[in-house]
Amino acid sequence: MSDGIQRETTVVAKTVTRIVVPLILVTAIALLLQGHNLPGGGFIAGVLTATAFALTYIIYGLDYIQTELLDRGVDVPDGVPTALARESGTVFGIGLAIAAGGGIAAMVLGYPFLTQAVAFLEHLPVYHELEVASAFVFDLGVYFVVVGGLLTILSVVGAE
Amino acid sequence: MTTVATEVPGFLDLAIQFGLIVASGVTLLVGYRVIQGPTTPDRVVALDTIGTNVVAIAVLFALATGRGLFVTVSLVLAIIGFISTIAVARYVTEGDIIE
Repeated sequence: MSDGIQRETTVVAKTVTRIVVPLILVTAIALLLQGHNLPGGGFIAGVLTATAFALTYIIYGLDYIQTELLDRGVDVPDGVPTALARESGTVFGIGLAIAAGGGIAAMVLGYPFLTQAVAFLEHLPVYHELEVASAFVFDLGVYFVVVGGLLTILSVVGAE
Repeated sequence: MTTVATEVPGFLDLAIQFGLIVASGVTLLVGYRVIQGPTTPDRVVALDTIGTNVVAIAVLFALATGRGLFVTVSLVLAIIGFISTIAVARYVTEGDIIE
């Protein structure tokens, strides 16, 4: 839509993308939250989130995302990673720090590396009983590592 | 998570078995088009049909066994199949997926 010279994305594809991307993200977050005792977890949630972003890259194009949504310039010289690629790499690093920090926190408390625990919160207003598992921190780290890694690959390979 | 009724009536059980057999047979038939298909779009459509059939098989299997985890499997497979269809359609029409 921004340049309109060579891109011919139909209105149908754009509208479907706007409806489907929030649904994919909600599914991904549900899989992330149930991951410690049901099928799901950080990896598949990260893959689904990356596919949601891939859908917007495919339909709207990398240039549109960078100029209209992130308010960045498009013109970067060859060999220099774009803003999208650099920020995806930052997400990758944050995820690695969360996952490793979750393991080291157990060592600080005197247990072996990556020791996990679970706590049950009872008498809550809506949920009545909520299970808080420390494995969720590691899942969250895996989630950010997968999202960052896949989005870096997509933005670098897609820009070529 | 999802709880599916564990006791299914007799006719529903029969229908699920029939549906599983039909979906599996169609998947095998489409496999012929994947191998033999003269052009690339033929193979793409055939692979997409296989993906849709696997979603159907997963849902029917969840109904037959009463295990809700296969509903999650089918949901994720359907999402990824949808996105791969769009990516392949762009590749066939424009020759470039992400611009």
